[in-house]
Amino acid sequence: MTGSATEKLALAAIFAIAVIAPFLGAYYLTFVFTMLIAYVVAQSWDWLHGEAGYVNLGHYIYFGIGAYVFSLGYINELPVVVCFAFAALFTAGVGAILSYPLFRLRGDYFAFATLALLPLFDLLAANLKGITKGTDGIPLPPKGAIVMGVDVKVFSYYVALAVCVAAFFLTIWLARNKFGFALKAIRNDEQAAEICGIRIFPVKLKTMALGATFAALAGACYPWAYRYIDPTTVFGLNVALIPIAMALLGGTGLLWGALIGTILLGTMQQMLLVQISGFQATIVGIVTLLIGRYMPGGLLRARIVRGTPGLGALGKEHHERLGVRPAVGAAGEALAIERRTIDPDRTILTCNGVTMAFGGNIAVNNVTLEVKEGEILGLIGPNGSGKTTLFNLISKIYEPVAGEIRFDGHLLNGLRRDTVSHVGIGRTYQIPRPFSDLTVQENIAIPLMFRGDGGLARDAALAEAIKFARFAGLEARLFDRADALNLQQRKALEFARALACRPKLLLVDEVASGLTPAEVRAFVDHIREMRDKYGVTVIWVEHIISALSQVVDRLVVLEQGSVIADGPLREVMADERVLRTYFGGSLKEHA
Amino acid sequence: MTAIIAQLVISGLLLGGLYALVAFGLSLIYGVVRILNFAHGTLLAIGGIAASIIFAVYKLNPVLIAVVLVLVFLVFGYLMHIYLLDPLKKRNPFEATIGTVLVTVGLLLIISDLAAEIAGPTPKNIPLEFHAYIVGEVIIQRAELYILGGITLFTIALHLFLKKTWFGRAIRAVTQSPLGANICGIRSKQIHAQTVAVGCGIVAIAGVLWSLKFPVDPYGGFDLTVRAFTIIILGGIGNLVGALLAGLFLGLAEVFTSFLWASDWAPAVSIVLLLVILVVFPRGLASVRK
Repeated sequence: MTGSATEKLALAAIFAIAVIAPFLGAYYLTFVFTMLIAYVVAQSWDWLHGEAGYVNLGHYIYFGIGAYVFSLGYINELPVVVCFAFAALFTAGVGAILSYPLFRLRGDYFAFATLALLPLFDLLAANLKGITKGTDGIPLPPKGAIVMGVDVKVFSYYVALAVCVAAFFLTIWLARNKFGFALKAIRNDEQAAEICGIRIFPVKLKTMALGATFAALAGACYPWAYRYIDPTTVFGLNVALIPIAMALLGGTGLLWGALIGTILLGTMQQMLLVQISGFQATIVGIVTLLIGRYMPGGLLRARIVRGTPGLGALGKEHHERLGVRPAVGAAGEALAIERRTIDPDRTILTCNGVTMAFGGNIAVNNVTLEVKEGEILGLIGPNGSGKTTLFNLISKIYEPVAGEIRFDGHLLNGLRRDTVSHVGIGRTYQIPRPFSDLTVQENIAIPLMFRGDGGLARDAALAEAIKFARFAGLEARLFDRADALNLQQRKALEFARALACRPKLLLVDEVASGLTPAEVRAFVDHIREMRDKYGVTVIWVEHIISALSQVVDRLVVLEQGSVIADGPLREVMADERVLRTYFGGSLKEHA
Repeated sequence: MTAIIAQLVISGLLLGGLYALVAFGLSLIYGVVRILNFAHGTLLAIGGIAASIIFAVYKLNPVLIAVVLVLVFLVFGYLMHIYLLDPLKKRNPFEATIGTVLVTVGLLLIISDLAAEIAGPTPKNIPLEFHAYIVGEVIIQRAELYILGGITLFTIALHLFLKKTWFGRAIRAVTQSPLGANICGIRSKQIHAQTVAVGCGIVAIAGVLWSLKFPVDPYGGFDLTVRAFTIIILGGIGNLVGALLAGLFLGLAEVFTSFLWASDWAPAVSIVLLLVILVVFPRGLASVRK
């Protein structure tokens, strides 16, 4: 972490205030304690939202579960440390189990299902009277309120502070670690993340369980200090949403977002509580509404804050902190792709009777196809003839309804997308799908970090990514976000990202459409170079025959899901059926 | 025993029909504008409370109250879309999603708290005395017949409105493609705002009908939103008949859960049902039928 002087100063100041607050009196102790707890919940919520893009509106249930488990252990006279451990482990388990159903959902559905968890756990806590004592709540015995002559609130305060510090440094670690890059890839495009070799579910589950653990630790501090717990204080809708509003007020996904948001909103809330009786939920509501309406990106991302010297450092996006600058290198430098020696007689890909149907519509019909190692195969056919569907079957976006696909000794049926990437299949999309809020460098570094062999370390991957960017002509845009690129650059980026998967087989989907003749020529050269220099086998779907004709060894024509021609370019182009269905005429008419 | 079951079925249908009315509005807004209004059920709460206060003060006919409230809610929905929700569309998808959630959840908190502060936190209803019919051992109040009749008429009217009128067709066009509809001369932003307005107007009717029979709790709104969401997931987004059937099913399920088990657990039915459906059919039940 290359923290600036402002950041170090701010951190030291905040930490110093937090350390001395309990000595200033009971009011400040309670005041800051509330904020410490809120920060842990807000920050642990933001790991899933800011990094992975999932809006978990029910995150607060983990706080509640932690509080309840702690209290139940405590009234059964278990040692406090054991109570904390139980709270953390049990809640992590709940988070892990909930991950299985919840991560089948996305977007609004995920948000709503998680929000519905709050009333559900409220009901459970209120109605499972045998365990939770229902709405009466659980009072903690008064004899533990004073420990070694000191109010237990002080102990719980410093435990909460320690959890805060851990949460802050974990956030730094997450933002710069490979694990964090997996989350950032997931946030942008889950399918593309899988294509880059990331096994996404365990990453999401771990993040959920980690967030649950921290929220539970904060939850455990709460009844320890206040000696009482009941359903509405830990599962109520208005308390549950405040930490989320805090993280968003500061700036989601930013290192300082949750912390600054908690300090601002926490102070504001405290002052209002003193001033005003009643209408508290209204005030929370108004603040929530205004944050949502005017600054869902957060205060630290506001232009005025970023422009202020000193303050701007707090609003840095993660990639502004990476600091891996281009290494000096030659333009013709070799990529970190092993140079395979080609055996042109060896079959690398076999499709045998592959069929795909969507409802009654058969998109790919009994396709049998062999591709030799080192071959450049052109795949053409009218729109809707099943070319992209065939690609999607090979890269396991879809599972075929019939037939076998074998690649380099592996049966692909039943394999996951990340495994397919690991055995050596890379692809591009017809409409480019780069990770749009990551830089060009990060986009290319992600597959390098998540290769089948365990991948490169972060810095090595970022440095290596520069070579791929240079190869694809993107060196000048290295530190720009992918969503700032034009179409040609996005296509080039996708191509570079696919190469960074170190594919043995590269599936290229209409990379030349919409490009100028000069840009097309550059792609043709790249594809030829990949085969000649690195031994990569290529299947290229394209409508621009002039581009294909410069490199392909063989042409396969699909029509209505079936192969209608397969052979050398000249033969296929002369085929009467191909002329009729694809070129829209016959040789005789032209003659 | 049959009399008890008949009585339970009547209560279930009544409750379910009211749930369905709430769900219609949510379904319309979510189906067309793609905005999940977390404050939707809370609108029913404030509508019902307003109706009970207006009745207590002016002794107006509930039909007149409904007319007044529908007008107020139409305006509210329109303004809410134009000033709070539509501007979020211009942001990037992450910010738009979380922004919409925060705005509508904020509204939920404001509305329910204001309602509770102004009218008191105790549930309220319209205390009209109605004649009761006794069929065998089953008691049917006239208010219940009014509510059932109101729900039926309203469902048919809404169905015809969406299928037969220019506005209905425009709504369907905008649902398919806002840009495409724009090119064909439909002002998508206006249609969106009007859809949100209509969705809120429907809730006003549901609120008045609700308060004829059940007390309205200012804090009970979110539970209703959950129920309405369960119903539209179960019945299919944008599918009126599906929502009506799903609503009736949920109403019956809750009534029988209360009777056979404990009324404490009745609110859990919709939440558990929602989670189960979302997990088994992550794209909604409608995707199965296609």
